[in-house]
Amino acid sequence: MNSPFRVIGKSFARLDARGKVSGKAVYGTDFAMQGMLHGKLIQSPIASGEILSIDIERAMAMPGVYAVVTAKDIPAQRYGSFVKDMEVFASQRVNFVGQPVAAVVARTVEEAEEAVRAVDIKYKELPGVFTTEEAIQAGAPLVHPAWQEYKAVPTVKRDGNVTNYARLVLGDVEKALKESDRVFTHRFVTNVVHPGYTEPRAAIAHWDDSNQLVVWSNTQLPFEAQATLAEIFKLTPSQVRVNLTVIGGGFGGKLRLGVEHYAAAAALKAGRPVKFVSSCEEEMTSALPRQPLTIELTTGVTNDGKILAKEASILVDTGATSGSGVGVASSVMLMLAGPYKIPNLRLESRSVYTNKTPTGSFRAPAGPQGNFAVESQMDIIADALNIDPLELRLRNIVREGDLAPNGQKLESVSLETCLLKAADAIGWKDRKPARGRGKGIACAWWTTTSGSSGVYVKLGPDGRVFLNTGCAEIGTAALTGAAQVLAEALGVELADIQIVSGDTASTPFDFGAQGSRTAFAVGNACLDAVTKLQQRMKEIAAKQFSAKPEDIEITTGGVKHGDKTLSLREIAAVAQASQGGLIAHGTFIAPPTLHDKERTENMVITAINSPSFHAHAVDLSVDEETGEIKIHDYVVVQDVGRAINPKYIEGQIEGGVVQGIGQALSEEIVYENGIVRNPGLTDYKMPTAMDAPNIRSFLIESPSKVGPYGAKGVGEPPVIHPPATIANAIAAAVSARVQTLPITAEKIVRTLAEVSTKAT
Amino acid sequence: MKVEFLEPQSLQDAVAMAKAKGVGARFVAGGTDLVIQMRKTGVLPEAIINLQRLRALGEIKHDADGFSLGALVTHRQIESEDRFLGGLQALRESACVIGGHQVRNVATLGGNLCNASPAADMVPILLCFNADVTLVGSSGSRNIPLAAFIEGPRKTQRAHDEVMTDIRFPKPAGKFASAFLKGGRRRAMEISIVAMAGVVSMSAGGTMTDVRLAMGAAGPKAIRLAQAEKFLEGKVPSKAVLEEAGKLAAAAASPIDDVRASASFRRHLVGVYARRVIELGWNRISEAGNDRSAA
Amino acid sequence: MTEVQLDLTVNGRRHRVSVPAHHSLLDVLRDELELTGTKTNCLEAECGVCTVVVDGKSVASCTMLAAQCQGREVVTIEGLQDGGDLHPLQEAFVEHGAVQCGYCIPGMIMTAKAFLDENPRPTREAVREAIAGTLCRCTGYQKIVDAIMAASQRLVQQGERP
Ligand SMILES: Cc1cc2nc3c(=O)[nH]c(=O)nc-3n(C[C@H](O)[C@H](O)[C@H](O)COP(=O)(O)OP(=O)(O)OC[C@H]3O[C@@H](n4cnc5c(N)ncnc54)[C@H](O)[C@@H]3O)c2cc1C
Ligand code: FES
Ligand code: FES
Repeated sequence: MNSPFRVIGKSFARLDARGKVSGKAVYGTDFAMQGMLHGKLIQSPIASGEILSIDIERAMAMPGVYAVVTAKDIPAQRYGSFVKDMEVFASQRVNFVGQPVAAVVARTVEEAEEAVRAVDIKYKELPGVFTTEEAIQAGAPLVHPAWQEYKAVPTVKRDGNVTNYARLVLGDVEKALKESDRVFTHRFVTNVVHPGYTEPRAAIAHWDDSNQLVVWSNTQLPFEAQATLAEIFKLTPSQVRVNLTVIGGGFGGKLRLGVEHYAAAAALKAGRPVKFVSSCEEEMTSALPRQPLTIELTTGVTNDGKILAKEASILVDTGATSGSGVGVASSVMLMLAGPYKIPNLRLESRSVYTNKTPTGSFRAPAGPQGNFAVESQMDIIADALNIDPLELRLRNIVREGDLAPNGQKLESVSLETCLLKAADAIGWKDRKPARGRGKGIACAWWTTTSGSSGVYVKLGPDGRVFLNTGCAEIGTAALTGAAQVLAEALGVELADIQIVSGDTASTPFDFGAQGSRTAFAVGNACLDAVTKLQQRMKEIAAKQFSAKPEDIEITTGGVKHGDKTLSLREIAAVAQASQGGLIAHGTFIAPPTLHDKERTENMVITAINSPSFHAHAVDLSVDEETGEIKIHDYVVVQDVGRAINPKYIEGQIEGGVVQGIGQALSEEIVYENGIVRNPGLTDYKMPTAMDAPNIRSFLIESPSKVGPYGAKGVGEPPVIHPPATIANAIAAAVSARVQTLPITAEKIVRTLAEVSTKAT
Repeated sequence: MKVEFLEPQSLQDAVAMAKAKGVGARFVAGGTDLVIQMRKTGVLPEAIINLQRLRALGEIKHDADGFSLGALVTHRQIESEDRFLGGLQALRESACVIGGHQVRNVATLGGNLCNASPAADMVPILLCFNADVTLVGSSGSRNIPLAAFIEGPRKTQRAHDEVMTDIRFPKPAGKFASAFLKGGRRRAMEISIVAMAGVVSMSAGGTMTDVRLAMGAAGPKAIRLAQAEKFLEGKVPSKAVLEEAGKLAAAAASPIDDVRASASFRRHLVGVYARRVIELGWNRISEAGNDRSAA
Repeated sequence: MTEVQLDLTVNGRRHRVSVPAHHSLLDVLRDELELTGTKTNCLEAECGVCTVVVDGKSVASCTMLAAQCQGREVVTIEGLQDGGDLHPLQEAFVEHGAVQCGYCIPGMIMTAKAFLDENPRPTREAVREAIAGTLCRCTGYQKIVDAIMAASQRLVQQGERP
């Protein structure tokens, strides 16, 4: 292969690999401080009610106990992304089982756990609501009776349990549905799934003498943690310093505060550093799982499979706080139009409170839920019209220059290539090769989250290059990717680069490791830094060579002027001796994605930035008697714009697909009247190595205009398609169409039984 | 609360310690049930009596009458035991689906039986082999059929000072095969939603004889499926025969609804697995040809 | 005093520690000996991040009583390296892109280590079976299986050299 690149496109080992395989990397759960105490939460045992009294006396008398912290010990302050409906500890009402009401601080974890049992809290139970359907009924109990007092962003339209009512409207749906040859309406319901990072959320907080709060944590977003902690404790952001530990996975589950605020409140009261680590049960009952959605989807088509209109009504169950569910309710509409060209749309969504675990932004928030509905229905329609599902898609997908449902113009559209490649790789021509065996396909687009990034690129005295970023490395190797961009542009080896990340006091701001943006945005900031750094290098060299800066030439590893050269190391030496070293501040902000504001009402997310396109295909067998599924082959074709590091992109794909298979087949947090019935890993069933298939990845490079060297966001998309892809293959294999997730063996068997009773 | 840790070096010591400490003491073998229970409930025993020094209880022995498995034999030992190939292979099949390597390397057969979970995977096949367990306590030693030993969920006939020492079963006569199947949502790390074990022999006339079927996780305790067994006796496993046996098996199930599966799905699976276990066993005998010493 | 006076060997070094009878081996490794390479998560033998090798066998240290390790040999991830040189398993994990967040990796490598010691030439399927008790949420396991297969070959070759 003739690559024009030295570093880009090569599968180098990640820069932090050695520390991770040797056990030396210090994660959040590992971090310790001299004098540190341990905190444990006391969680509400009821789903809805008032706190009548909290008696801490017996607990305080127990050995090793330093403090019991409640809402009274900290400022009364609500916070939240779109609606400020969260509080650190429940002050008057509890809204879900597992909600923190107080925390115990003790010398050891065990002593804290014992004291938790000794705190006596009395509640008055009140009626709750556990489904979105109940919650939107007139007269339904309000999860937050005081909702009107909460501050919120101006875009949202709230009413009681509804935290936003948003719409996406285009054309005349009524008319188009009337003109359609066939109209299909289906209901899809998705599951509550946990991000499942293997390292629980952990943090240590310490207040120093100058009233500065110092936190070490495994958060994905140190700057957001800084801002939120400042808001909660009524400090200026600069009074809060957040340091990152190594992070044992995030998948969006560590975007919002995890346990940092409990640690900070506890440390404030105890006067000592306090560490909190979530227990597995706390993770399952009070972390930030994916929102379950109920989607009613109506599609009108012509007999030859042209989609004329789509109508949808979506309920997003955000749990007891709105969190990022408001965003999900918006972005799911961009997903529901599908990567299809549809002239008439009327999509409406409501994000709704229920008395259950608050939800969050699990990898590709809204992606799997929306895709499951759209892509399942595409296959149902194809069957009904007797058109091949691939063909039906090809007749409707967006192509270069088309407008997305929000009116944005689409560029670098590679969807057709992705679909055709996936179909070819899975052997689509033979879609139902045997009884009980079938193939499925699904496609999607996805966005690359915007937000600004800053990096300092510093030349070390030995010519080594420091990449100082405020962005976290959550495991994706995206920072190694950014470092490859830097190495390529600066003309150094990847091994010459050292990443310094995660301390809000000393790194430049970064919008953070979220939304598939890390390598994309940090990489771009690196490119900007290189431009600035090279200008400075030229100036230094110009002085040395008594030449003009514009006559200095950049080479791999240094500069030259005629036959005179200076290596990076020499430049660094000059810079250190004469001007306090050499450092460049590179920045990046993605240009806004223009779209048609007429089409979107109250949507908090309105655009698909630098969209990526992808298709998945699967070949599987279904045991008709037991409902068991065996995956024979799984193919992913993903347009990554530019594969900066193919091996880790494959890693993102393989991991994402397996996570998606979990959502498709086995994972679900199950509630009964607000109580989690499976609060542990025995019954929260993430795929094991025996459940994960071999996955074949094909990377398409259709460069984006914005990303570094054409890269697009890659991290989130792989988790989007598995539920729909698998549902479609199951339907092809055994004619059982399951419209609720997860598609358990039991549901397959039940659906098959229903199908056969209908047939007889 | 402080927990005492006792390390008996002999069976007699273990029994004496348990007697002396009373009901507040618990034995520990692999600890895979006990340690988790302690952590989940927050209730600690007054004393933990470690059985792991009783090395003699960690052996698999056999003689002309049959097999004897020490209570401390691990699932890993069972799944890699060469003598459990052929007719006894369901023992390996039952053991090799318990937890991951990390669990099977330490979890013991005795612990699995004494813990008496309705979903304990070793129970069905041992019921098929008509296993007896030996308990040694302060009032002596006794043998009880496994079927009687387990009384219900987490309830056994074991007195608190009794150590289970071994599990014995006679080798079935003649040409026989065994099979084990288990249902769960994943391919590994699953607590059974239904477990089914079967043993079948072939008569001189080529029909099924001495058929034994047992199911787990489909009722308060694992049980033999007497009606299905009786029905299958003397028959050839035709589709219709298997179908009927499956129905009889399903009728004998008394499953519960829980987060893992509904009662009706469990009952359905009992029917399917009963049929499949017999079919699988029968195919195995047929494949083994005339080799009577398959076990 | 009811604490257990525990004498055990960890990574070739003898230690004497005093532990409550109900504490796990994981508690001793992480809290007493401050060997935090062994990770903590579910505490019920479901995730495998706490896997260490005791007397040659992989165990979930979260459900093994420390007191039961009297006189036994424990190897943790910190004991795998030979000076500055990574163990072939560690090297293979680096080379094959098998590491993402890395939190499962110490447990994964120790699971694989005990397995390869007993099964030097496994199939891919056998490797998947062997690591089924160790969850990885990042990688989808494929590159982990690649790495273990590659390491097995390297270890066999090394072993065969005179
Ligand atoms: C992740 C995980 C997965 C699992 N999966 C399965 C599975 O798929 N199928 C399954 O069947 N089990 C499963 N188990 C349960 C468990 O591993 C088994 O029941 C195991 O065999 C128990 O043995 P142990 O030696 O660890 O018991 P311990 O925990 O040591 O003891 C269990 C109980 O038995 C008592 N006891 C133990 N030995 C004796 C004895 N010799 N005499 C008297 N009393 C004794 C103890 O006092 C205690 O009450 C799983 C466990 C875990 C942690
Ligand atoms: S922490 Fe031990 S297995 Fe999960
Ligand atoms: S690398 Fe993150 S869990 Fe395995």
